[in-house]
Amino acid sequence: MNQLWVLIFCLLGFACLALGMERPQEDLFGRHLSRRSITWLRIAGWVLLALSLGVTLDQERWAVGLVAWFGYLSAGAGIVFVALVAWNRLRQPDAKAARR
Amino acid sequence: MSSTMSTYSKAKAPGIRQTMSDLHTWTGLLAGWILYAMFLTGTVSYFKDEISQWMRPAVPAQAQVANPAELAPRLVETMSRLAPTSPQWSIGFPDERSPTANAFWRGGKRFESATFDPVTAQPIEVRDTTGGDFFYRFHFQLHYMPVLWGRWIASICAMFMLVAIVSGVITHKKIFVDFFTFRWGKGQRSWLDAHNALSVFGLPFHLMITYTGLVTLMLMLMPWGGDAAFKDRGARQALQNELSAFVPAGKPSGDKAPIAPVADMIRQAQERWGQHGVGRITINNPGDTASRVMVVRADNQRVSVSPQYLLFNGTSGQLLDTKDSVGSAAETRGVMYALHLGRFGDLPLRWLYFLVSLAGTAMVGSGLVMWTVKRRAKLPNPDKPYFGFRLVERLNIASVAGLSVAMVAFFYGNRLLSETLADRKDWEIHVFFMVWGATLLYAMVRPAKRGWIELLWLAAGLLLALPVLNAMTTDRGLWNSLAAGDWVFAGFDLAMIAFAALHAWLAIRTTRHRPKVKPVRKTAAVTDGTAPAPRRLGGVAGGAAAAVAASGAPSGASGSSLSGGTAVSPRSGMPGVEGAR
Repeated sequence: MNQLWVLIFCLLGFACLALGMERPQEDLFGRHLSRRSITWLRIAGWVLLALSLGVTLDQERWAVGLVAWFGYLSAGAGIVFVALVAWNRLRQPDAKAARR
Repeated sequence: MSSTMSTYSKAKAPGIRQTMSDLHTWTGLLAGWILYAMFLTGTVSYFKDEISQWMRPAVPAQAQVANPAELAPRLVETMSRLAPTSPQWSIGFPDERSPTANAFWRGGKRFESATFDPVTAQPIEVRDTTGGDFFYRFHFQLHYMPVLWGRWIASICAMFMLVAIVSGVITHKKIFVDFFTFRWGKGQRSWLDAHNALSVFGLPFHLMITYTGLVTLMLMLMPWGGDAAFKDRGARQALQNELSAFVPAGKPSGDKAPIAPVADMIRQAQERWGQHGVGRITINNPGDTASRVMVVRADNQRVSVSPQYLLFNGTSGQLLDTKDSVGSAAETRGVMYALHLGRFGDLPLRWLYFLVSLAGTAMVGSGLVMWTVKRRAKLPNPDKPYFGFRLVERLNIASVAGLSVAMVAFFYGNRLLSETLADRKDWEIHVFFMVWGATLLYAMVRPAKRGWIELLWLAAGLLLALPVLNAMTTDRGLWNSLAAGDWVFAGFDLAMIAFAALHAWLAIRTTRHRPKVKPVRKTAAVTDGTAPAPRRLGGVAGGAAAAVAASGAPSGASGSSLSGGTAVSPRSGMPGVEGAR
């Protein structure tokens, strides 16, 4: 169960960090978010990643957990990345390619 | 490279990024083909025990892992019968990933080995196969050559990999800004984005696995420190004791004495490490009054392979020594070694290792393909690429698509070769290399794009048919294994189907890929005056679409996407390889 939380926190953390970046904002909303929301998204992203590390270390076999944490970080970032690509492709496959 | 150098000296000196980019490109390319094979075979080795189980279908799935304390006395009895005169036995217990007990022992000049039933402790006849150990050994010592040569070649490639990773990070200037960036359908740009994503997301793993891989062979690579510090025999033995749980058999007394009950010794160890914390026992001079029994801790529950063991007097059963820890330098090595092997992981962690390692494989593959994608757009005459280009594109086909075909062929060999064939396990390996060689020949005679597509389809077809073959040749087909809850067999079959889908998808993407016919370049127009044939143009760029789950439509990179902004600058693009102009 512990591991599921680590994955969820990593996923949400990277999702927030992605939303705090310009290119994904253009893709998802067609505009840039306000300075303020970006700051909050970035804070939330880092806090969530820190939480995932906290959950990892708060167990008996923390050494194994720490190794797994790096794996969940990679998986979390990868899933967010694939989701963004898939979202762009499904929404407007050709218009997008033509615009850039 | 001389032409590139002279260009540089005329202009101002290249910046650090440019230099690092060149370094990245060429270290990556030179070691790339072997690295790809090392990466992929190493990746599947995370499921080495499961692959070995699949390759020995006669050994039933185990319902419950046997208690070593109950099994050990029976195994000792069997061994007393099998190898009564051997000076050393080493007996391994079944664990949750490996359903049989095993032993190897010194018999005369060489080591012998056997596999035992986990209940009766009697030797069992299993199919003669190397199992998953073949991929495991191949990934660091290759094959058909002395083990040391293979290890040196693998180590040199790993060092190149380390250089490529560090120079790649320096080259990739927008590592944070472009963190989630993927531009679909932009040819070379898309390839670069995909290559970056595969590299950056798995970066902690890629760095770790390359560095720790070198650490596993450090005594071979850099023996001088140890040689200088530990000169006499005793000191070298002390060094050895810090690295592995191996105590050489001392001199036998020559007087016979029965072996003390090993079950009691194992129970003492279990009190420390838990019921399944015991990995193996080693008995030196069994049946002699000078006998020693070493109970060794398994390395599947801790992030270290440093030796931990209890040493007993083999006739009185008295505890003589307890090895709990090693020095800090040895422990650092033990932890790094364990990180590389990943044996301590539970199932989710093993899958994470597998998937991130697979991303690393795709990173190497996409890098190899990108070399051709980038240069194809600049070929003076796309109909007749220079020799170096053709060499790289053909080797790419054989080392990426061909390796998939060869690895499945290895499994076909396991099911189809006669059980009575002499040297059967060697023939399984010969099949692997013969098929791999055949794919190289095939890649050389076919047009590049066709070569990619056909070999990918072949791999997909073979992968998909493997569960069928398994169902025909054993009684452990997918339905049966699913019904029985046998997740090793079911998982293997399902993984084959998933990989078949991946290869089919790559083949379809490569087929669909139609590069835009780009404006005829001046050089091309001058030399042959005709527009490049689109089909040929699509060759490599199209094949390129295969290696990675990324590329979109036109890879025949339009001029604009070639210039500026790309992390790998086009300046590094003019290779000094033979026949470039």
